Amino acid sequence: MEGSSPEEGSGANNSPLVTKLRKLLFRRMLVGVEDGRFFLGLFHCIDKQGNIILQDAIEYRSTRRSGPSSWEQRGLGLILIPATCRCSCHVDCSIEEQMSLLSIDK
Amino acid sequence: MATNYEGGGGGGGGGSGGAAPPKSIPSGDDAVWADAAPLIEAACNDLQEGELVHGENFSLFAAMSALEIMDPKMDPGIESSGYCSVDEAIENGIAPVPLSFDRTVDVKHTLDVMDHLLACEATWHNGHSLAQTVFSCIYILRIERTSPHPLLHSYCRVMRATCNAVVSAVSDARTHEEEDLFTMSYGLPLKDGGDDKCLSILNSVEETVSRQLRACKAQPSKKKVLEEFESLQTNPDLEEGYCRAVLCRLRFRKHFYHALTCMRKPQGRGLELARKHIAACLSELDNMFKSLDFLRSHSFYQESAVTSTTASGCRPIGFDVSLNSRLLSPTPPRAVKVLSWIDAVSYFEKLLHYLDTICSFSLDPALESVLHFIVKFQLSQPPLVARAHLQLLLVHDGKLYGRDSFSDVIARSLALPDVTKDKEFQTNEFVLQLGQLLINLIKILCANTAWQRRKLGKILQDWSVISIQLELALKREFGELLNSSVDESVCMKVSKHLLMWAQEQTYWIALRFLTLGFELQLYSPSEYCMVYWYMYVIFMKQVETMQIRIVTGSDSSRRKGKKKRDHHARDSGRDAMASSYCLLLQCYMCLSEGLAMMLAALRNESNAFQMLNIFNSEQERFIQHFELLQKAQVPEHISYHIFKESTAHACISDVVKHNYFREAQRIAASLKGSFSADPERLAELRLIEQVAEHNRIALNVINQVGAGDPTLRVPLEFTHHNHFVVAVVKRS
Repeated sequence: MEGSSPEEGSGANNSPLVTKLRKLLFRRMLVGVEDGRFFLGLFHCIDKQGNIILQDAIEYRSTRRSGPSSWEQRGLGLILIPATCRCSCHVDCSIEEQMSLLSIDK
Repeated sequence: MATNYEGGGGGGGGGSGGAAPPKSIPSGDDAVWADAAPLIEAACNDLQEGELVHGENFSLFAAMSALEIMDPKMDPGIESSGYCSVDEAIENGIAPVPLSFDRTVDVKHTLDVMDHLLACEATWHNGHSLAQTVFSCIYILRIERTSPHPLLHSYCRVMRATCNAVVSAVSDARTHEEEDLFTMSYGLPLKDGGDDKCLSILNSVEETVSRQLRACKAQPSKKKVLEEFESLQTNPDLEEGYCRAVLCRLRFRKHFYHALTCMRKPQGRGLELARKHIAACLSELDNMFKSLDFLRSHSFYQESAVTSTTASGCRPIGFDVSLNSRLLSPTPPRAVKVLSWIDAVSYFEKLLHYLDTICSFSLDPALESVLHFIVKFQLSQPPLVARAHLQLLLVHDGKLYGRDSFSDVIARSLALPDVTKDKEFQTNEFVLQLGQLLINLIKILCANTAWQRRKLGKILQDWSVISIQLELALKREFGELLNSSVDESVCMKVSKHLLMWAQEQTYWIALRFLTLGFELQLYSPSEYCMVYWYMYVIFMKQVETMQIRIVTGSDSSRRKGKKKRDHHARDSGRDAMASSYCLLLQCYMCLSEGLAMMLAALRNESNAFQMLNIFNSEQERFIQHFELLQKAQVPEHISYHIFKESTAHACISDVVKHNYFREAQRIAASLKGSFSADPERLAELRLIEQVAEHNRIALNVINQVGAGDPTLRVPLEFTHHNHFVVAVVKRS
């Protein structure tokens, strides 16, 4: 994947990618985990390892293993999603914003 | 590059590396869910070790309390191997209705469900959540599904209604503060409009089954039964046994529900009826127990009766604990071990006996007997449900038993005849405040002992503050009169009595606080000395206050007595009781003083009794134990140094000379006459005599041997009394 080489020399705060990432703070973020659940919450914090903290998170879970399914939800509040169990991560943004916000071209 | 998904198919999860968000989770208006994973991965690489990306409102401390997803101890929603939802479980046939198309098997399985539910209910009462116990039953979760099956339906309905009644009793009593898991029913279908009809449904089912039982007993040839009557099931040899097993279970539920409802009637109006239902419950429990052999002899696969949650020993169908775990949002998913059916039955037996004790309470309006009753009740460590019901009976609508206002209770306890009907007294600010404190006190006394002790320590402060306020008000209003010998005004007399009364209650609370420490095993034997010394000081203060109150009280009633002879007789009876009670306190005082001095002398003279503790000094432990009492100035001017002064020079020969234990024995013996009508007090007096006697002998032996004798061992044992220790002299 592009941009996977570490930034050299520049302090993390100056990295354009980190600046971009910082712009995602407080946006609605939808994180999928290994067991099929999704968590929707406000992006609160992330560390180098990619562990994410979401605020006011809601858990969505499928009511069926197979076939047509509906989603049950419940509020969880502040949650930490370890990077190891995260398998997808989406943010809520308008189509126009999408390119400027999420592209990893520097 | 960023990729966007506009909602994948309905199914979530699946392969790793970017599962599409389900359509049903909406993004904002004119917005899409855009994949941020590549950016995150790239940006994280640019982060320094330990660096965080966060907003201004971030606090590391708050972040520590975040729930960690996929952590088996923190994430109750973690996907287990079971079903994803109740509906999915039902579709997979884990809770069929009917339970079997073979009617004999159906009844058998229904009985298993009933038994397992009883075990779940008992487990819930013993500190687990409702969701993981009773509501692990899919039939209870979807009660409407059971309506074609009247037997199961009626049982589930009354079960749910009972749970609801118990939850509301415990939350009304607020005793759940100690065990908040108990009332947590968030997300469970606990309340339902139709549940008031549960009894009529139950009654009609009960009637049907008892008709079936009669029918099969009346028919000499069992074969005929099944043709002519609609039987419970199809095997004529088992009909009677199954009918009996079903009936006692239904009847138990009916009477238990009735008993709980009757107990909640205000002013104790339903207590008599409740006792009848409790007796019926107990006899049905007995019948249930008797059905054990029958049920076990007709089931194939069997678990041992010691561990099985059903009488038959078969595993019940229709239960899944993991289904509900996601409803327990903030609590960790605990593993619940459901009690065995036999343990559940004996739990309910115990609970019913406790409820019966509550129902047979005389509703005596005298404060002293109320407090005495609660303390005695607590001694047997009643379960939460029983304590909640006791509290609801005692305090209802801000009144004692929902009947007597606490101003009246105080007036009666003051033993001043003129104030009882006095409007001014009833609305006096201090009296109202004291009434509120009494309500709190009674509620706290109904809590479990550990929690109770902590709370008692805290409310001591409130009581001592009100005593100070009363004293100040007394000085302010009657300051100039205080020293004059003029006839006291009624108002002043009442104020004085109120002050003394408040102090007496404060001392009572302090003593309860200290003695609970023994029951909770909070003191080490090397600390008994200071505890008994503190108890002695408080007993002394309590006796002093009480004596003054009795003397001033009887002075005034004697004056009044000239007018009303009857009144006088009644008063003197009360005076006599009060002075016997005062003597009893003196007896405790002697005992406490004797024990404190004996232990101090042993410590001073014998090496075996040195306070050896490397962690903290005696003074520190004194503060740890009595900090709350000292903060509340109960009693005033007591410090570690006074304790040290009064015990530093204690020696065995002096303690022998003082003869504290002989004095305690003498008082106890003399009191037997006054308490002849009260078997409990008599028993207590006998215990005190025994404690005093044993300690007196031990003391004499120590005196003869010499406390310095290196072979001397004096273990302390609570063999006779819960709070007063007995010294046993041994030589090694």
